[in-house]
Amino acid sequence: MKRLFIALIFLVTCTTQAQKTAIAAGEKLVYTASYNMSGVLNDIAQVTLETSNVKTSKATLLHLKCKAITYKKWDNFFKIRDLYESYVNPKTLTPYLYKRDINEGGYFKNMKYTFSHKTNTVKTVQTKKNDWVEKKDVKINSGTRDIVATLYKIRLVDFESMSVGAKKSFTIIFDRKEVKAQITYLGKETINTAIGSKTCYKVAVGSNDSDVIKNNRDNLVWLTADDNKIMVYGKFKIPVGSGELKIKSATGLKN
Amino acid sequence: MKRLFTILAVTASVLTIVLSVLPASNLAIFPGGAALIFGLIAFYLSKKAGHVKKIIQFSFLLTIMALGLTTYKAIFNTTEVGDTETLVEKEAESKEEAIEELEDLDLDDIDIE
Repeated sequence: MKRLFIALIFLVTCTTQAQKTAIAAGEKLVYTASYNMSGVLNDIAQVTLETSNVKTSKATLLHLKCKAITYKKWDNFFKIRDLYESYVNPKTLTPYLYKRDINEGGYFKNMKYTFSHKTNTVKTVQTKKNDWVEKKDVKINSGTRDIVATLYKIRLVDFESMSVGAKKSFTIIFDRKEVKAQITYLGKETINTAIGSKTCYKVAVGSNDSDVIKNNRDNLVWLTADDNKIMVYGKFKIPVGSGELKIKSATGLKN
Repeated sequence: MKRLFTILAVTASVLTIVLSVLPASNLAIFPGGAALIFGLIAFYLSKKAGHVKKIIQFSFLLTIMALGLTTYKAIFNTTEVGDTETLVEKEAESKEEAIEELEDLDLDDIDIE
């Protein structure tokens, strides 16, 4: 299930040059995650992506939040209560603080990354069950983002200027390791969603470094071909199965 | 042959009942379909032999009940998230802690608004 959730997040992950800002505070996207069991899709969890402003005495940051909650009927079998957060620069989506608190079927883990972009280091604190704490400093490349910030960064990609088959690479820090991943633009497609019929950019996501998401065209995401570029549909294939991520509702969109 | 299909029909119908009460009740359609097919074959063979056992009719009854329940759940059950109280508390706590931590960070490259 951990792999499944990583895959869901990983699906919509990439980076590029920033262009028009597509993200505003107060946005809320709700998705339904389905898992394929013997050819039948079963809705297993609700994934929510939210943004808000956070004010400190020095600056206003954008708070990006990603939650995964299993549906009531699955709670007795495998309860998931995951919370992923990133505090980023509202203009560049450069992360300053990343927090991950997962509770997946009795497995607990808390991870905190404090980014220092001047020294290209990340101070990490990992807390597991029984308050077992492990601290570690990790060296990163410039441009490396946490998974949540990268998830939003995809929406700043200028797909219009990309030709079909064009690829973009990006680096994510996950589980205190840098992972190189890649997206491939596959063209436009019109699909029916819960928020209406949408013309979308079809993008393949993959990584050569990851066992969860392979670098092939099995993992696809559809982003609306408008100024918001929200993900409305995702398909994934992981070693333990396959599934889908479908949008349920979208509120507070900037454009 | 008659006995084999009867056993298969009963086994499949029991599996259908079990799956229909689980969260993944959609899966019950596969053994349900198989139970109906095996049941019909067993019924046909039994009728040909001159005696239809009650167990075949019972497997039909079980399968139909299970498929009825599966259909009901698929149509009327709305998917809703479970208890999120702890998560909501955790979110608020985490945000407070984060603001304190962000105060200590060097955020010089961000325009103060």
